[in-house]
Amino acid sequence: MKISILYGTETGNAEMLAEDIQAELEGAHDVSCENLADTDPTALDPTQLYLLVCSTYGDGELPASAQPFAEAMDSAKPDLSAIHFAIFGLGDSEYHETFNGGPKHLAELMVAHGAVQIGERVAHDASGPDMPEDLAYPWAEAVIEEVEEKLGVPA
Amino acid sequence: MSGKVAIIGAGPSGCFLAQSLLKAAPELEVDLIDALPVPYGLVRYGVAADHQGTKAITRQFARVFERQGARFFGNVAVGRDVTLDELRAAYDAVVLAAGMSVDNRLGVPGDDLAGVYGAGRITRALYEHPDAEALPDLGPHPLIVGNGNVAIDLLRLLAKTPGELDGTDLGPAPTGWLAGSGIETITITGRSPAARAKFDPVMVKELARLTGVTIRVVEPGESDDPDEAKRLDALATIDGHGEGARAVTFRFGLTPAEVLGEAGRVTALRFTTPEGDETIACTSVLTAIGFGPAGDLPRDALIASARDAEAGALAPGLYATGWFRRGPRGTIPDNRADAQALAARILDELTADPARPGRALFDGRSGIVDYDGWCRIDTTETTAPPEGRCRAKITTRAGMARIASEGVTTA
Ligand SMILES: Cc1cc2nc3c(=O)[nH]c(=O)nc-3n(C[C@H](O)[C@H](O)[C@H](O)COP(=O)(O)OP(=O)(O)OC[C@H]3O[C@@H](n4cnc5c(N)ncnc54)[C@H](O)[C@@H]3O)c2cc1C
Ligand SMILES: Cc1cc2nc3c(=O)[nH]c(=O)nc-3n(C[C@H](O)[C@H](O)[C@H](O)COP(=O)(O)O)c2cc1C
Repeated sequence: MKISILYGTETGNAEMLAEDIQAELEGAHDVSCENLADTDPTALDPTQLYLLVCSTYGDGELPASAQPFAEAMDSAKPDLSAIHFAIFGLGDSEYHETFNGGPKHLAELMVAHGAVQIGERVAHDASGPDMPEDLAYPWAEAVIEEVEEKLGVPA
Repeated sequence: MSGKVAIIGAGPSGCFLAQSLLKAAPELEVDLIDALPVPYGLVRYGVAADHQGTKAITRQFARVFERQGARFFGNVAVGRDVTLDELRAAYDAVVLAAGMSVDNRLGVPGDDLAGVYGAGRITRALYEHPDAEALPDLGPHPLIVGNGNVAIDLLRLLAKTPGELDGTDLGPAPTGWLAGSGIETITITGRSPAARAKFDPVMVKELARLTGVTIRVVEPGESDDPDEAKRLDALATIDGHGEGARAVTFRFGLTPAEVLGEAGRVTALRFTTPEGDETIACTSVLTAIGFGPAGDLPRDALIASARDAEAGALAPGLYATGWFRRGPRGTIPDNRADAQALAARILDELTADPARPGRALFDGRSGIVDYDGWCRIDTTETTAPPEGRCRAKITTRAGMARIASEGVTTA
C-alpha cells in the first residue's frame, strides 16, 4: 500500500513534521508528501493510505494551506467512502477552548464525506513537553499496522 | 542555481526567507546577519514569555542552519560593523529583514514626561534583551494605551500572579519586578470603538484564565459585522471575570490628547472622546501603538525609491521583507507568506557573479558569533533552568560572546 502524507500548515511546523514522517517511513514504504493546498479532494486514490498532518489557526480554524482543500470539499462533495485516512493534529493548549480545532474540523469533514478514519486523532500540544515527531512516528507505525491488518495488504 | 545572498536580520522573516530560498535552490550560499549575537529576533525578544508554544517555530529555523546550510553571522550590526554598500558589493542579492523596533510616541504634549514608556522598551526589558533599558517603576496604577495584541500581552503579563508564570523563560529580575510591582489597577484604552479594536479575539479570551484580577469592560457597544461581533463576544466573555485584587478596566473610544504631570512625572492622561474630554489618573503610561524603523538603515528612503515596494524589490539586487518592508503589522504566519513570495522573485532575478566574495567579506573579523556559538548559548540557557522556568537567558552581550566562544556552561 502506498502512503500519501498531506499537510495543512500556516507557519510550516506541520510541513516539517510531514517531511520528517516521510523520511522516517521511506525505508520501508512508498511514501509521498504534499501540501493540502495542492491536493484535489475529488482525486483522492483508494489504493493509498492518507496520513493527514494539520495545524490550527485563528480561533480553532484550519490553517491557510488546508482551507482551499476544505472549500473544494464543501463545493464538490466527493464520495470518499473508499478512502482511508488517519490524522495527526498540531495545536497549542495556550489556545484553551479551541485546542487542535483545525485537525478536528478536518477529520470531521473527511468523515462527513464518507472517508474511513483509522485510529484516534492525535493532538500535539506546542506548549507541552513532547516533540511532535516523538508522538507522530509511533502513531504512523500503528496506523500502518492497523490498515495492513484490516485490509490484509502488505505495505 | 548558484549565487550568494545576504539577509540582514535573523528574525522570522529572514529565517523563513532563507528556508524558502534554500528549499528551491539548495546550492545557494545564504547568510543571515544579525546585530545580536543570537538569532530569531522577536521570537526571542517579543513573543510573550508565557507563549512558549509560539516559540517552537525556532525548531524550523534551526534546521535552516543545521540541514539547509544557511550560515549565521551574529553580532554584526549593518550600518555600524559593515555597511549596506559593502554587503551589496559582496553578495549577489541583499535582503533587509531587520524588522522595526522603535516605539512610536504618542505625539501629544507631555509624552516625554517621566513615567511614559513604550511597549517595546518594557517587553525588551522583560525578556532580557541585552540592549534593554532597566525596568521602570510603574506605580500602582499603570495605564496602557493601545488595543493591539502587544497591548494585550503587556496587560496579561502585568496582571499575572507569580504562579501563572510557571513554564515561562522569564528571568529572575523581571520575575521579581512583576512580583513586586505593587500594581492595583490596570486601565487599557483604545482609540477605536471595541468592535474595531485590533486585538485577536483569542488573545482576549485568554484573559479569562487569569486568577488575580477582576475585569470590567466599559461600554463595548454592539455590531452586526461578523468579525466585529467575534471581538465583542470575546470581550463579553471576560467582562466581570474574576474576583482578584487587581482591577483591570477596558475602555474604548478614547483618543489621547495630553499627558498631564507633576514635577516632571506623569499623573494622568487626558483624552478626547465623542462625548467630550475625559481625564484618567494614572501612575504611568505604557504605549503600545506600533513601532518605527531604527535609524541605522535608511529604511524610509529605500522604500520611497523602491522599484516595487509592494513586492519588496527595492533596487537591483536589493530587497526587503517582513516588518521592515510592511511596517510593524502582522504575525509570524504573515511573514512566512511574505518571505515565500519574495524568495520566488529573488530566484527569478538572481544573476550570480562568481567574482563576488560573499561571506569571505567577514574573514578575519573578530567578535562574530556563528551558529555553533548560538548553539552553545542555547544549551547553556536550557540545560539547567531554575524551577518553573524553561530557559535562563544570558542577558549581556559579553556573557553571550564568552559562552559562544568558549562553550562555558555556567551562566
Ligand atoms: C511584543 C511583541 C509580541 C509579539 N507576539 C507575537 C505572537 O505571539 N505571535 C505572532 O505570530 N507574532 C507576534 N509578534 C509579531 C512578530 O514578532 C513579528 O511578526 C515578527 O517578529 C516580524 O519578523 P521580522 O523578522 O520582520 O522582524 P524581527 O523579529 O524584529 O527581526 C529583525 C531582526 O533584525 C535584526 N536587526 C535589526 N537591525 C539590524 C541591523 N542594522 N543589522 C543587523 N541586524 C539587524 C534584529 O536584531 C532582529 O533579530 C509580536 C511582536 C511584538 C513586538
Ligand atoms: C495566530 C495563531 C493562532 C493559533 N490558534 C490556535 C488555536 O486556536 N488552537 C490551537 O490548538 N492552536 C493554535 N495555534 C497554534 C498552532 O496550531 C501551532 O503553533 C502549530 O504548531 C502551528 O503549525 P503550523 O506551523 O504547521 O501552522 C495558533 C497559532 C498562532 C500563531
